[in-house]
Amino acid sequence: MAKTYEKEIKLNDYSKDVLTDFYKTMAKIRKFDENLIRLMQEGKVSGFYHSGIGSEGLSAGSIRQNLRDEDYIFYNHRGCNQKIAKGVPLSKIYGDFLGTIEGTTRGLGAGIVHSADPARGVLGQAGTIGSQLGISVGTAYTSKLTGTDQVTVVYFGDGAASREMLHGSLNWAGLYKLPVIYICENNEYAISCHVSETHAVKENIADWAEGYGIPNCVVDGNDVLLMHEVVKEAVERAKRGEGPTFIEAQTFRHRGHFEGDPYDYVDVEVLQGWKDKKDPIKNFAAKLMLEKIVSEEELESINAEIDSEIAEAIEKAESAPLPDPKRIYEGLFA
Amino acid sequence: MRKITMRTALMEALNEEMERDDTTVLFGEDVGKFGGINAVTKGLYEKFGGTRVFDTPIAEPTIVAAAVGMAITGNARPIPELQFGDFVGIAFDEVFNKMGKWRFMHGGQMEMPVTLRLPIGIAGGAGPEHSQSPQALFMHGPGLQIVIPSTPYDAKGLLKTAIRDNNAVLFFEHKVLYDMKGEVPEEEYLIPFGKADIKKEGDDVTIIATALQVHTALEAAEELSAKGIEVEVVDPRTLAPLDMETILQSVKKTGRVLIVHEEPKTGGSGAEIAAQIQERALFDLSAPIKRLGSPDVPIAQSIYLEQFYTPSKEQIITAVDELMEY
Repeated sequence: MAKTYEKEIKLNDYSKDVLTDFYKTMAKIRKFDENLIRLMQEGKVSGFYHSGIGSEGLSAGSIRQNLRDEDYIFYNHRGCNQKIAKGVPLSKIYGDFLGTIEGTTRGLGAGIVHSADPARGVLGQAGTIGSQLGISVGTAYTSKLTGTDQVTVVYFGDGAASREMLHGSLNWAGLYKLPVIYICENNEYAISCHVSETHAVKENIADWAEGYGIPNCVVDGNDVLLMHEVVKEAVERAKRGEGPTFIEAQTFRHRGHFEGDPYDYVDVEVLQGWKDKKDPIKNFAAKLMLEKIVSEEELESINAEIDSEIAEAIEKAESAPLPDPKRIYEGLFA
Repeated sequence: MRKITMRTALMEALNEEMERDDTTVLFGEDVGKFGGINAVTKGLYEKFGGTRVFDTPIAEPTIVAAAVGMAITGNARPIPELQFGDFVGIAFDEVFNKMGKWRFMHGGQMEMPVTLRLPIGIAGGAGPEHSQSPQALFMHGPGLQIVIPSTPYDAKGLLKTAIRDNNAVLFFEHKVLYDMKGEVPEEEYLIPFGKADIKKEGDDVTIIATALQVHTALEAAEELSAKGIEVEVVDPRTLAPLDMETILQSVKKTGRVLIVHEEPKTGGSGAEIAAQIQERALFDLSAPIKRLGSPDVPIAQSIYLEQFYTPSKEQIITAVDELMEY
């Protein structure tokens, strides 16, 4: 059965810059999300959005300091978290949601899925949940074909893990020893169904990987440094040609599946517990201050910087024009 | 000129293009050491090695998804094969939504140089799920190019074009045609998409046919010619893009149209072609457009019964005679 990944983490082993970068990325993701929800409330963006609030540590920890522009990611249904960590400009993501030509799709509209930034290794996402699991073995195979050390990291939720494609993907990755890292963002609920109601597992989803001979583990996805360490090991293994890794990162979403979801299928106390005790940003900030790595003032100034970056990004995205209706006839073929 | 089978013509195209471009990668079920169940990929594994030519698990969705993933990196030119074209149903999402739409839905930022080979057609009692001709389904899927050759010459030139193209191609190969011989020059040539070929000229009736039915139509044309009816046989060669100009020019000349294919008649490629003809050339027509396809029922497993699905020479002659009555 999948082991729980544990490692003694000392903040002193990291530079202040790296630690600050983790904090800043997480804070940026959350503020991006909060502002997007505000735009929805103002009626500017459709409510068809899956908020990533509560799981920022998982994406920031796995991507920052581990992946280069040339490494590929396939983001999940709460994928703004991963796109932001991979460096996709905020104005481009807001532009996709607003449908202006500032967006990565130049006005076609995107957001939850279909934003892409190939120069940063963000090759898009499928609207049919979990399809990225099959596509990711193709990008990983290409690294083998062309002899590069590029890795592919594929994100998917516990819900997407039910797709048959996961098994096709794991079989290929294990068989051809592909440089692909599976990160299952297990927030326990696929819309309203608890993972225990939809998955036949010994104990964890990661146990499935064991059957394919793929190294696997379960990890606290809300601990940004633990996420960083476990993915770092997986990236190194992939680069050494030793093949795939399956990481099940445990987390919980603070909001419903979509905006407007009554979210009444979770226990109120359980949800409150995650918000109070396991918030990845709050906990990391407290740790940084406790060990006197950053002061409260420094964090405040980082937050103020992010606020103005986001305001500028929204301004840029909103002030860009909507596309000409003829836009839909451009780009079907190369 | 030398005559070779369509199988050899396809094999030559794969060989030449894999030699020409080392980012090409070919994979599918039994396509490696075994050389493919239709023996089209024989020798490629030995020549290009197990990384560029590899056997896959029986996993059609993963085969097509992996091809999409390879293509969008910009560093590979995948040539996957589905063992039977019917299996496209297993990988429908990957073909219809991913191969066809990935580039568009991500704003045109990536290319999709995938050539998916799909053997099709009624051949030897293979039954309802190993005999179909599903190409028309994809005329309804934006972003997919549909190639369906009828001769070794066309097969080679079109496959080479498909592999070099930076967009998704569904390449349908009729299994009965693998052993059919035809003239193919030694020197290299390419055939562009969207250019129909007039296989026989005539002034009385236009027959639009694809794949095996081009040959049935040509046989019928010979008998009809003996009794003084000259049909023109037009082979679109690609259903997407579709060369309506060549078709309309022929219709203008003959005023009588018969469309023949092995696909079921309802919703077959002939339905779209007929609709476009009446939209653009109704007043050139002297008779209603006729269509011949296979019956709108699943293909029976029985080798005795399956012969009644494929449009026959006799059916074509009867249909042409009826058109001439107008």
